[in-house]
Amino acid sequence: MARFLAPEAFSAATEVISLLPFNFERTGTQQYLVANMVGDFIRLTEDEINKLIDLRATPGDGLYEKAYSAHLITGSNQQAQRQLLALRLRSRMSFLQQATPLHIFVVTLRCEHSCPYCQVSRQSTDRSRFDMSEETAMRALDIAFASPASRIKIEFQGGEPLLNFSLINTIVSTAKVRSASLGKKVDFVIASNLALLDDVVLDFCKSNDILLSTSLDGPADLHNKNRPRPGANSHELATTGIRRAREVLGPDRIGALMTTTEASLDRVDEIIDEYLQLGLDGIFLRPLSPFGFAIKTKQFQKYDAKKWLSFYERGLRRVLEINRQGTPFREFYAALILTRMLSDRPIGYVDLRSPAGIGLGALVYNYDGSVFASDEGRMLAETGDNAFRLGNVDRDTYESLVLSDKLIDAISSSLTQCAPECSTCVYESHCGADPVYHHATQGDALGIKPLSAFCARQKGIMGLLLDILENSPEDAAILRRWVS
Amino acid sequence: MTLPLYGTASLSAGFSSDKARSVIRLRAVDSIGERHASDFGLVKTPEELKRAAESNWSSIFVVSDSSIQNEFSESFERQLILVPRKFDYLGDGDVLGFDHSSRKFRTLFRRNSAHNSLLVTERCNNYCLMCSQPPKDVDDRWILNEIKESLSLISPETRALTFTGGETLSDWEDFIGVLRQCRDRLPATSLQVLTNGRAFANSQIVDAWRDIEHPNLMAAIPVYASVDSTHDYIVQAKGAFDETVLGILKLKDRGQRVEIRVVLHALTAPIIAETCQWIARNMPFVDHVALMGLENTGFAVANDAMLWIDPMDYRDELARAVDLLAAAGVNVSVYNLPKCVLSRSVWPHALQSISDWKNGFVDECDRCYERKTCSGFFTTGRPRFSRGVHAITS
Amino acid sequence: MRHMPPAAKDLSPSPVTIAVDLDSSIQSLEALDAAAYRLIGTATCQIDRVANRYVCHLLASTSPQRRGVLTPDDLKERFLNLVADENLRARVAGKTEGVRNVILALAFGSLAANQKDAG
Repeated sequence: MARFLAPEAFSAATEVISLLPFNFERTGTQQYLVANMVGDFIRLTEDEINKLIDLRATPGDGLYEKAYSAHLITGSNQQAQRQLLALRLRSRMSFLQQATPLHIFVVTLRCEHSCPYCQVSRQSTDRSRFDMSEETAMRALDIAFASPASRIKIEFQGGEPLLNFSLINTIVSTAKVRSASLGKKVDFVIASNLALLDDVVLDFCKSNDILLSTSLDGPADLHNKNRPRPGANSHELATTGIRRAREVLGPDRIGALMTTTEASLDRVDEIIDEYLQLGLDGIFLRPLSPFGFAIKTKQFQKYDAKKWLSFYERGLRRVLEINRQGTPFREFYAALILTRMLSDRPIGYVDLRSPAGIGLGALVYNYDGSVFASDEGRMLAETGDNAFRLGNVDRDTYESLVLSDKLIDAISSSLTQCAPECSTCVYESHCGADPVYHHATQGDALGIKPLSAFCARQKGIMGLLLDILENSPEDAAILRRWVS
Repeated sequence: MTLPLYGTASLSAGFSSDKARSVIRLRAVDSIGERHASDFGLVKTPEELKRAAESNWSSIFVVSDSSIQNEFSESFERQLILVPRKFDYLGDGDVLGFDHSSRKFRTLFRRNSAHNSLLVTERCNNYCLMCSQPPKDVDDRWILNEIKESLSLISPETRALTFTGGETLSDWEDFIGVLRQCRDRLPATSLQVLTNGRAFANSQIVDAWRDIEHPNLMAAIPVYASVDSTHDYIVQAKGAFDETVLGILKLKDRGQRVEIRVVLHALTAPIIAETCQWIARNMPFVDHVALMGLENTGFAVANDAMLWIDPMDYRDELARAVDLLAAAGVNVSVYNLPKCVLSRSVWPHALQSISDWKNGFVDECDRCYERKTCSGFFTTGRPRFSRGVHAITS
Repeated sequence: MRHMPPAAKDLSPSPVTIAVDLDSSIQSLEALDAAAYRLIGTATCQIDRVANRYVCHLLASTSPQRRGVLTPDDLKERFLNLVADENLRARVAGKTEGVRNVILALAFGSLAANQKDAG
């Protein structure tokens, strides 16, 4: 005769339960947002969080079920959840196993634009002084191929890199031979304003599988204001270039990035429409860069963050509307954050990691052979601050650069896992360190987070995404499909 | 209509008492090729009986309602089994197990079926509220021996075999030995093993499983909730959730293929979106998730009051669950539910899954456009029909 | 004599400040420091020990861009909420430090073993 036991027989009242680590943030009167050790979010009331900490939760009360599923509590003698959390943590940190996948080659400082915000000095005459030499390039390749990553990306920047097209040619062919012999894969990107895009360049990109990345700040007046050029036709050249590249190389072989300035903040709809009209599959709504702007007071940054966040929210909602109307179109920063929040797959983006992506994620080889920990680090040096100059291709090896005290200090002092406020922040699992930004704006790699616009932006974006995921089912379904 | 897979022979002759059971294979009387010692000529008509004698069949299996005792007592020296007409579905290549003293037999393998399932044992260390094969505490290790005997008789062209129970890993060493034999004798046959997965919490067992090195082996493991107490209650075994999840992790750690199954009833269906959200978030690396309509047989009948829920009442939750898994890149299928009770968004995931021998439709289905690709219904136990069953005509 | 209006308005607001005191036998200083850290940019916090109490002097930050004025009561409520949250964090940390280390060891412990082997 079959005998079945009641639910109470399986209650943990007969077994001891334990608390698992979690972070939280007060979100309202007696309301908390809670995140477990791998960043899964759950909302609890003050009463619930207190009950949880006192382990006053039993099967059947609803709180037990919520908390157990979210890995906030476990059976003291159980194993599966501990193993699950460990496994997921390893996955989330596995980007560390592919050190330095990105190598940026600044092949020339020369440029025919004269953009006001550009930290790169425009040296349009003397080639030999401001072009990278072949010798420097080869030494830089030595370092790039010495990194442990099995797949590296070489990105050409400038000035305008196409002004030193012959060196790009040399680097690409050398790199291909090198990668084949080492059993590594190598991808190439040219970050260009496309003014010099011609059939020769397009053929070269096509036959070598090279991606193009360009700048598109928005409609013509906005773009041209940011990017003055003799002839005042930067926008026209960019859009023509984009169309041509899409045609010749394919729609997924050219991308565009915007630079956000004060003037952009009220025009996000137009900027998005500009991208849409060109058939681009998404947009990266970027923050205002502090480089080149003098920041007088720490308070100023925070209000900057508020204004930028309205810009971002408006832009994101416009993008969602476009999707609801039937056109697939992404906001790329949201897609990165969503991948962190909704999966354990590590993202390739080196600027939102802890340990920080400086050096470990990317190395920048300047035209003169000096090596920087990031592109922003190089921009800082233009203003006389060498905090992130790691060495020189003539003197250094990959190891001496990446294991330098300078780099290790910057990375270790900016770890979010150990930083005040960051280490207990509910968003920490999905955030990252930005030592260069904090050094530039506050004078140290760690920064005081309550004063950081980076922090305010991150919290704002994640709070917004969570709100949409929880309260707008149709938009939430769109967001979930952006997870790579 | 439920195919009768078990029965009692009306007559048998030539079976010695020094062995309790035999495994036999049916062959068409005209079949050419080497005859195995276990092969029996399959006779359904007097014509075939004559041809059997002409072809020198020493053992025959007769499907007939009439008494044919007189017709052949001298011609056949070895063995004879006579079964009633209702077993007419039996055909060439089918394998049966036959008990000498009771004359009871059961179909072990049907060559023209896509749903061959070998029961390994009736013992189990869970006691699921809805179990369609209620556990028995018996020493039935002879079943594994019978399966071993059958393997040499099963056609190597068989696409797939399923092992079920009880808990298939109850005698794990012996059972893993059977799987190794399958690898050797039936290298092209994919294997699916239904198991509660708890044994795999033991590293020794999961390592032995990995060491089979089978080219196409899948462990199909039920997980009913994202909470230990709920899952443990449903399977009536404390500690089951922890062991099952740990087992799945160990299997995947060793690169083994895993399917997670969730049977849908009143205790699992209302929380199915949460359960699938948990799977998508914590174990997106599983090879497949199967969400399954309830077969109202075995314990499910005894616990009907607690378990019955009309699929129309969990239709939305199920659609959400499928969407969550699909968005996370997890392969998900819905089994055993007719399309008329499923949201259209779920249709691409709805498979025809009910074993042929227990699959049926109702009259309403005759005028349904989707019938050809629909699961239909179980014919076993006490079928209960959703209020939403209707022909889809648009 | 006709009443003359003032020549100019005094625009400087009076500083928003309040003192909050807590029992030092049950309130940890670490939690107060952590709460004060989170208030940086909003208010400064100076903590003094007086007999068996911590006295926290809060002074709202003044800045030309600062919009919205906090009342002293707002400031006190904000600070006390932050302190309550830090106390909660301390309780959680105390109860979970052990299992946290176990999970970290499970996640990354094998790397240390590999490094040892690699020499």
